[in-house]
Amino acid sequence: MTPIDSKTVLLASEVAKQVSFHGQPLSILHSASLRLQAGESVAIVGASGSGKSTLLSLLAGLDRPSSGEVALFGQPLSGLDEDGRALLRRDKVGFVFQNFQLMPQLTALENVMLPLELSGRKDARDSALDMLEHVGLGHRVGHYPRHLSGGEQQRVALARAFVIHPGILFADEPTGNLDPATGRQIIDLLFRLNAEQHTSLVLVTHDNELASRCDAIYRLMDGELTGARA
Amino acid sequence: MSFFGRLMLALRFARRELVSGELTILGLALAVAVVAMTSVGFFSDRVERALTTQATQLLAADLVLNANAPVPPALRQEAERRGLAITDNISFPSMVFANGQAALATYKAVGARYPLRGEVTVRRAGGEQSGALRPAPGEAWVDARLARKLGLKAGDRLNVGNLSLKLGGEIVREPDGAMDLYNFIPRLMFNAADLPGTGLMQEGSRARWRLMVAGDDRAVSDYRQWLSQRLPAGARLENVEEARPEIRTALERARRFLGLTAMLTVALAAAAVVLAVRRYLARHWQPVAVLRCLGLTSSEVGWLFVSLFALLGLFCGLIGTVAGYGVQTGMMRLASGFVGELLPEPGIATWLAGPFAALVLLAGLALPPLLAIRQVSPLAVLRDDMPVMRRSLAAPALAIGVLLSLAAWQMGDPALAAWLLAGLAGFLLLVGAMAGAAVWALRKLPSAGFGWRFGVANAARRPWLAVIQIASLSIGLMALLTLTVVRDDLIAAWRQSVPADAPNHFVINIQPGQRDDLRNAFAMAGEKPPELSPMIRGRLLSINDKPLRPSALSDERARRLAEREFNLSWRDSLPEGNQVVSGKWWESRAKPQFSVERGLAETLGIRLGDTLAFDIAGSTYRARVTSLRAVAWDSFRVNFFVIAPESLLGKQPGSYITSFRLPATDEAFINTLVARFPNITVIDVGAILNEVRSVVDKLTRAIEAMFVLALAAGVLVLWATLAATRDERLFDASLMRALGASHRQVRAVVLAELVWLGAFTGLLAAVGAMAVGALAANRLFNLPFEINYMLLPIGVLSGVLVVTVAGWPLVGKVTRTPPMAVLGSR
Repeated sequence: MTPIDSKTVLLASEVAKQVSFHGQPLSILHSASLRLQAGESVAIVGASGSGKSTLLSLLAGLDRPSSGEVALFGQPLSGLDEDGRALLRRDKVGFVFQNFQLMPQLTALENVMLPLELSGRKDARDSALDMLEHVGLGHRVGHYPRHLSGGEQQRVALARAFVIHPGILFADEPTGNLDPATGRQIIDLLFRLNAEQHTSLVLVTHDNELASRCDAIYRLMDGELTGARA
Repeated sequence: MSFFGRLMLALRFARRELVSGELTILGLALAVAVVAMTSVGFFSDRVERALTTQATQLLAADLVLNANAPVPPALRQEAERRGLAITDNISFPSMVFANGQAALATYKAVGARYPLRGEVTVRRAGGEQSGALRPAPGEAWVDARLARKLGLKAGDRLNVGNLSLKLGGEIVREPDGAMDLYNFIPRLMFNAADLPGTGLMQEGSRARWRLMVAGDDRAVSDYRQWLSQRLPAGARLENVEEARPEIRTALERARRFLGLTAMLTVALAAAAVVLAVRRYLARHWQPVAVLRCLGLTSSEVGWLFVSLFALLGLFCGLIGTVAGYGVQTGMMRLASGFVGELLPEPGIATWLAGPFAALVLLAGLALPPLLAIRQVSPLAVLRDDMPVMRRSLAAPALAIGVLLSLAAWQMGDPALAAWLLAGLAGFLLLVGAMAGAAVWALRKLPSAGFGWRFGVANAARRPWLAVIQIASLSIGLMALLTLTVVRDDLIAAWRQSVPADAPNHFVINIQPGQRDDLRNAFAMAGEKPPELSPMIRGRLLSINDKPLRPSALSDERARRLAEREFNLSWRDSLPEGNQVVSGKWWESRAKPQFSVERGLAETLGIRLGDTLAFDIAGSTYRARVTSLRAVAWDSFRVNFFVIAPESLLGKQPGSYITSFRLPATDEAFINTLVARFPNITVIDVGAILNEVRSVVDKLTRAIEAMFVLALAAGVLVLWATLAATRDERLFDASLMRALGASHRQVRAVVLAELVWLGAFTGLLAAVGAMAVGALAANRLFNLPFEINYMLLPIGVLSGVLVVTVAGWPLVGKVTRTPPMAVLGSR
């Protein structure tokens, strides 16, 4: 592994995760290493249960590895407690999930305003409105998630992720709950926003076609990460 | 994030949560609890204020000597010597005659300086006037009831005994009348200077002579000290600190009872709060994980939710307080015959108590699970399962502690509060056992249809929720059934227990010389001349030469009996309707002896053969008890506690009393009677009973308001439990639909569960109300009471109605959601 430089957004060195299963140690992920430069995109592909989501949670700082080190924006995550990692996420990390994870009690607009409000931004409303317009939902800002279709919900989720102009975006099977046509629209939108904002992207998927649109593809099989740049 | 930033975030968050309806049940439950507590709080605060801060006005003086005979001149002279202001107030019941009609009134003859404290408000031709006002000699003021009854208008002449007085005004408010506990009888006020001219104060007349005293604190307190050493027999002191002890006791009881019902409501609402908080947190596990993903630290999450709940508590506390003030105003209005029209406004502390109570309730019930939400890991966004919350004994202990302290604060009696909560827990267990047995039995029913089988199975699947639903709803319903159906049954049973030919009029104050004339008047009107009984007032001095000290008696009823004067009578034959249960009726009429009513003997501890001593008009009469009598009090005949042979008391001055039955249509006879014998007092028992009934009706309606609140809390518990299981139900219904069940079948399942819950709730409530009714009839009223079996269908129907109407909107959605919408999102 080359040392961290200013362009490196994400650096994972020999990251491993073990859990205890019925009292026995079970290794979910062995020694995975990965580097991502600013504006780059990588896909992590693998079958169900191969450990994709575990890797994602470790890379994004949602969970701690059993061994190895993850650094985001040059900051080793092992040196931060959960709250420290939360503050790092607040300004620089975006997420998109398979099941959208919108706040059911908030309208589309309020969902998009939320990360801006957490950062104490005064222009939360205007920025969120702009962003919703940008993803083609300007006419549905007052709707609650339960009144939106799956595709629309994922658009709101994309707007929420990109509204803070994150340095890196983690996307976990973003089309997993959508029909193929809607899924394609969402992916197009995702890559468009990614290009516009020069965001780095970590995309977890089992869809090879989708993965091929990334700069690099890593393959995860039985906890072993292999792969290279395209 | 700065403090201000956090606060703004919490405010925005709170607004959105409220708008989205996530907090509706929780908020309503809090508000209902606060309404129950504050309505009782406002009530007792206002009454307390009336009793303390305005006590001098309630007394219309600083000190009052209340006696059953004219106050000795020496006592008055001493007060004047000390520079104190004094005046008189003599009150007694008597008849007033105007416009050819007679009516019973409480007369109040007031002295030249009345009122010494406070104001009288009177409506005259020129409008309302307030101040230290009193009727001028030759003038009478009446209250609105008497004016209505006799059709009076300004300037009318009123016959008051032998005098004719001019109607000078209508009493709107009198300081020492506002809190009269039993002012069933209309008021007539006139100047004490006219009293001798009326000829109403004769031997044996029942009246209260009040010497009213006012002055500077020191002088009043010195005089009080001096006076307390020289109290005439049958007199007592009323002062600011202990103004109207009988009213204080009655109101204290009312407050306790209302407090008890309020706490019942609070306990039910607390159950709804706990259920609603659980559901809220379960639904927010994932959103909080998202918030953590978006970069909120765990302490910020804790802060956000604690401030959200604090804001909710303040908001609902405020709404509940305002609503509580409204409920209390309504209760006051309903109970106005009981507590008087105008009470001071509640203090600021009472207004603050509502939001404070809401916060305390939330802190005790919601804080422990709420703080657990800080532990939500951002990882939860990637996992569907919600980690099991750690359970500890600390949370229920805190909840019980908070409920106990709220109850103790509310009722001012920690022991009673503990009993209430223990009783509630016991009831819950009992209902649980019964509901469990019912579910088991119902599932064994072979003929049950599809909907019924699944519906009952649904209830059985969540047995604790079913128990909580049934228990909380049935408490409220039972109370309401008791107050409506059972109360009417009791009144009907009481009416039936009074014989149809029972006398409905009493005549008192008949002078010995008027006996023959009165009998003639009856005969001339074609009525049967009634039997006249002598009535002599005496005070029981000692039993077996042991002086009777009222303060030493522990039984309250005994104390009251010992303090006041008895009506004794003399006669030679055993009165009709009396039965000697112990000893013998006069064997020798010449021998001094007493016959005592059995109940009185029991209360005061008098046995056959005891020697009683009575003080009658200054002389002591001592004799042995030779018989104990059973008296049918509800026969409405003239009855006496103590009777002696003529030889013992026949020479004593006294008046006569009689009772007779008069058809309601024969009012004219009473008018003639009163016109001819102005000094006699005719008491229309029916009219007084109607007055009592109307006051009781008003009071029960005020209490009903509290029980409606309890039922509302029960409905909230139902909502909270239904909401808690709604996601599960949606999934079940979708699955059923996916397997081919029709709309109608799914609806049948939901409906069957609600009907079952409602029917069981109603059944339980009906059985409870029957038990309460039987117990009350037996123990409290001693009435032959037949259980009203109509309560069963009434209870079951109202239970089914309440539960299905309240529950349907919440579960109705279950039948409307397309299956994929739910199954797909799993």
